[in-house]
Amino acid sequence: MHEVSIAQSILDIILKECEKINCKKINSVTIRVGRASGVVVDSLVFAFDIIKKDTIAEKAELLCEEVPLTAICVNCNKDFISDEEYILNCPYCGKSEFKVIGGRELDILEMDVEEQ
Amino acid sequence: MKVKVISRILEANDRIAEDNRRLFNEKGIYVINLMSGPGAGKTSLLVKTIEALKDSVSIGVIEGDITGTEDAERIHSTGVPVVQINTGGACHLDANMIEEVLPELPLDSIQLLFIENVGNLVCPAEFNVGEDIKVMLLSVTEGEDKPLKYPLMFQESAALVLNKVDLLPYLDLDMERLKERAMSLNPKLKVFELSCKTGSGLDAWTDYLFRMVAEKNR
Repeated sequence: MHEVSIAQSILDIILKECEKINCKKINSVTIRVGRASGVVVDSLVFAFDIIKKDTIAEKAELLCEEVPLTAICVNCNKDFISDEEYILNCPYCGKSEFKVIGGRELDILEMDVEEQ
Repeated sequence: MKVKVISRILEANDRIAEDNRRLFNEKGIYVINLMSGPGAGKTSLLVKTIEALKDSVSIGVIEGDITGTEDAERIHSTGVPVVQINTGGACHLDANMIEEVLPELPLDSIQLLFIENVGNLVCPAEFNVGEDIKVMLLSVTEGEDKPLKYPLMFQESAALVLNKVDLLPYLDLDMERLKERAMSLNPKLKVFELSCKTGSGLDAWTDYLFRMVAEKNR
């Protein structure tokens, strides 16, 4: 629902980075999005494509690496991956106390830029 | 040329949230980020809570709404300091909005600050604003399927308040199932069942708040 403001944060961060290294064009930016981060990738790309106009990121493609939801069970100590956006029970012992160790990420990883 | 950036996208929000948290800790203010869908009774819960606690705890409120001041006026009539944020369309409060209105509150004389988030079961759970705990309010008319549909808010909250229990005789709601589902998402969740209309169950909730405030000020 707030994909536009997240897209704006991405754009702000990469434009600031480009200013630092003095580059003139961004070809792509790669981000990591956890399955349980609450972000809808399609909407994020759509928003990014609109707000990047008239900046040096105008031609930049937003590449998203999705991270599955991963957790460790507090009871049986096994770790497991879920295909869903949430976990209700450990698939091994059925208990519902676990620690989420991945899947909430929302990070920028790298960008591909042209120098000068 | 590939350039490593490695940066949290919501870093700016988290940094401001940390600034807010530091200020709250310095002043010894216990802060609750209160979240629910529209119409669950956030403002009613605050009014009842203030009435019950205002002689023993000094309370302040930040009201978040997309537009309008009706909620802030209801809080204002209880006599506690309140400031209204109109997000102008944004579906949640973020740390920056909170930081901006803090100078308008008498922070030195507040022990318990409620931040009433925008009515929405999705986005508010994703943004820290510097609170001690998030509390989710759900009215029993919303149904026992909500933990399955909006898991993040249940997982992020320290306490779940189930409001409007006076209506249970008229509903098909399976209360045990609702609690079971909520607890399976978050086994540490503290659950309070109450009715803002009749006042039943409010004591357990206000006792809990009183203890949390006392603990922070110890």
